[in-house]
Amino acid sequence: MAERKRIDARGAFCPGPLMELIANLKLVDVGDELEVWSSDKGSVKEIPEWVAKVGHEMGETTEHDGYWSVVVRKAK
Amino acid sequence: MSGPPLFILLCSGEHEKVHMAAMTATVAAVSERPVQVFVSMNAVYAFEKGKAAADRYKGRAFSEEMKAKKAPDTLELFGQGRMLGDLKMHICAMALDVLGWDENNLVEDMFDGPMGLTKFLADAEEGQLVTM
Repeated sequence: MAERKRIDARGAFCPGPLMELIANLKLVDVGDELEVWSSDKGSVKEIPEWVAKVGHEMGETTEHDGYWSVVVRKAK
Repeated sequence: MSGPPLFILLCSGEHEKVHMAAMTATVAAVSERPVQVFVSMNAVYAFEKGKAAADRYKGRAFSEEMKAKKAPDTLELFGQGRMLGDLKMHICAMALDVLGWDENNLVEDMFDGPMGLTKFLADAEEGQLVTM
């Protein structure tokens, strides 16, 4: 059964949130989801670009008070 | 889909340029693009073993902003690229000779060994070359 893991990367500047996402993707199974919390607006745009480039899947992006949550599904 | 290999010739020791090289190399490497970095000239000093961050990273206005805002450490970024992607780092053999250094003078686990410019440029013919 697919699981969702949260990564709290708030306070980290680009490419910190992306790097944390990539490191954690290596630790989860295909189908699992990672929810990245980022206060860096640039990373909210960078993460979907990277996901599209390497072939994973984007979930929802939600704006909260001072940060965003970005969900990525491991596809391979 | 991987892109053509990226080759970065890093000569400047200015913090902003070394950091931009680290960001470029690391993001490209984790995006399934092979990357090679050739470090020479003043950039070598940024990789000297045993330096405090304040001595290692010398720059201008943006460097001060990055330090104040605690942006990711430049050498740690290179390390992440090496750990998570296909990133190879070469130290210029000529620069080591000029300084009288060997690999023991450099931060550990950062380089794949000394290389000459001729070899680097020959390898770079198969990809894109960026100079910083």
